[in-house]
Amino acid sequence: MLRLKLCVLAMLAALSASSYGEEAPDGARRFGQGGKPSEAQIAEWRTRRAAQNGSESAPAAAAAMPHRHDDMPAAAPAGKPEEAGHGPVWPGGMALGMRGGALWLSDTPPMRGEGGRGGMRASGMAGMEMGGGHGAPVTKRVWLRSGNDPLKSGFAHDDAEAAVESVLVTPRSKPEGEPLPAADGHKGLSFEMPAQGFYRLYLTSRKLQGDTLAVAVAKMEVGNFTHDGDEDEVAAALQAPRALDSAPLEIVRERKQDEKKFFQLKSGDEQAFFVLQKGLPLQGARVRFVSHQGWVKEGVSDEMGRVSFQLVRDYYPPWDEFQKRFKATYLVIAETGSVESGSFNGQPYSGVRYQSTLSGNYYPSPDDYQSYAWGLGIGMGMLMFCGVAVYLYRRRRVKPYREEHFDEQH
Amino acid sequence: MNSTKPRLQALRDAVNHVQFNRFRFWFQFAAFVLFVYGGYISINLGSHMPFFSCGYNQEGRAGVCYLLPLQHQLGQPWPRLFGMAGIAVLTGFLMFALWFIVLNKGWCGFVCPLGTLQDWLTALRRRIGIRYSTYSQGQFAQLTRVKYLLLALLVLIPLGIGGGLFSHNMSPPFCLICPARMILPMFTGDFSQFTVDFSSKTSMIMTATGVSVMSLFLVGSFVKKRFFCFFCPMSALHYLLSKPALLKLKKDGSKCTRCGDCYNVCDMEIKEIADDVRTANIMTDDCTLCLKCVASCPEKGALQASFAGIPIFVSTEEGFIKRMGKGAHHGK
Repeated sequence: MLRLKLCVLAMLAALSASSYGEEAPDGARRFGQGGKPSEAQIAEWRTRRAAQNGSESAPAAAAAMPHRHDDMPAAAPAGKPEEAGHGPVWPGGMALGMRGGALWLSDTPPMRGEGGRGGMRASGMAGMEMGGGHGAPVTKRVWLRSGNDPLKSGFAHDDAEAAVESVLVTPRSKPEGEPLPAADGHKGLSFEMPAQGFYRLYLTSRKLQGDTLAVAVAKMEVGNFTHDGDEDEVAAALQAPRALDSAPLEIVRERKQDEKKFFQLKSGDEQAFFVLQKGLPLQGARVRFVSHQGWVKEGVSDEMGRVSFQLVRDYYPPWDEFQKRFKATYLVIAETGSVESGSFNGQPYSGVRYQSTLSGNYYPSPDDYQSYAWGLGIGMGMLMFCGVAVYLYRRRRVKPYREEHFDEQH
Repeated sequence: MNSTKPRLQALRDAVNHVQFNRFRFWFQFAAFVLFVYGGYISINLGSHMPFFSCGYNQEGRAGVCYLLPLQHQLGQPWPRLFGMAGIAVLTGFLMFALWFIVLNKGWCGFVCPLGTLQDWLTALRRRIGIRYSTYSQGQFAQLTRVKYLLLALLVLIPLGIGGGLFSHNMSPPFCLICPARMILPMFTGDFSQFTVDFSSKTSMIMTATGVSVMSLFLVGSFVKKRFFCFFCPMSALHYLLSKPALLKLKKDGSKCTRCGDCYNVCDMEIKEIADDVRTANIMTDDCTLCLKCVASCPEKGALQASFAGIPIFVSTEEGFIKRMGKGAHHGK
């Protein structure tokens, strides 16, 4: 209990010294509505955390064991997923990742065989299908996949022992979302997107593995915007809450301050994520970022549940095969555990293992294929050429001065 | 009722005797500020503007030049384009036409930011004291067709892209070579268009051509008045729709003495404005409706601009004398 109090005090001290309030003084940048957390949001978290500490719920249990990763570096060295997946073992014997790899939602189906095709080429409109006719809402299809590598993950297989539920949060739905029928094999999950805004799909799987309950939350956030849409609707969508309070574990991508509705991540960008448990930031969660080609970087969430990664450039095709619109997929996997006892389908368990995934896309950085030097060089060269050409043309047409003398007497 | 007529006449006299160049300068300046920086105060007039309010000026634009969405729409896959998406193309074109008929080609002469920039380059050249260039009549006759060729390519290349005949890296073809793409964002501090794209051979050729055209634009506009307007495909598109437009340039040939003042001040070197004494609707495809010809005409009522049939600016001897007395820099 003393340890818990010390942790809470340390967290409060860190929060009061943080500059979040200065960076985002207005309510528009509140976490859950777009960017980093505001002071008001932090105060709300404190209150909710204090209330939950009294009821010994999951976040409280998580907060009760904040030192389990004290010996971990803030970000472990990068490596291929095969190396990381069989690497460190969690205290209490909890291996990284669920058995068979992480469950995650993707807007592209698995590829046939090996190869490095990007989502753009593989799926055309990235799982986006037009509706039945003009003006009909766009339908989005996503696939549930299993594995720790975006390129190699296959379809997730049906597991009769697992209890699966899907929740879709739309711009027009209740904040807690609405249930969605379960994934239908390889056909994936489909939903309509009638309004502009972000659609969040949560697929939660619960399964008993020995005396541990494995809870996996696969999340996907899909933006649906048009060029000529209702501006108020767009503004509301960009400010809408982005976390689900009932999610056992959730990853939220931090939005940058200048993000617009058609924002795209580029390789080389720094991107932060928040790990939330039941809507509250979770400190000490182990988070892995897996790039399109399977490069892995590990980190641990801080007291705000935040962890940051750089999207490494891992797209190096021959020049004549380079595509500037190549859509690469990243995968973020967050994991934590807690000592909780209970029963699931009549079977007792003594611990819970949480895993959450979030996938997204990123594209080649313009710096990889655009050159200012060449642009300015060609521009200046052409400017000088045209200028000199005009000068010489005019000079050539100037008639030499010639005096004419008239002798009026003759 | 009796006092209304003198007031109306006084107003007409005030307009007809206005220091036209000064009025036009400030009008153009205001339009430039509006369409290059208006986006910063949340002005958005849509994406069907009949002039070069460049869509690549993402932060500052107050509207988007219609040629950008038109090329994107025409670049859709054929089954979609010739299906329901065709309705969106037609709707967009209708919106463009509605904007256009209000000012006719006056959008070019008074509002277009790229046209305004050319006028400013001309003013700079005049201050430096460098003489301007002109085309011969033979060159004029040949070059005036270029804008129709560009308009045809502007339509056909996106259609080819939609049909899989050309690379998507070519889209939008005209915007990639339009000087406005590089120059207008520059006024908001955005130099991101000053690059050559090496992601594919097509992109490389198109962006390098774009940078070259921009340099050509700067040099050409410096030595030749309204250099780019002569090749502008938007101008060609305008002329195809100009019949029902509300703003018109009219000439009364019976009052014309063929003095040639109107031709001398014409930035586009349109000879018909002086020579043609038969046609009443004197606006040609190269005209930008800048109305400098009306301002320079000394014959009362020989030239006039009318809006929906109502004369709004008429040539008068008094106005001519007043403007000439102030030094109108005509013909330099």
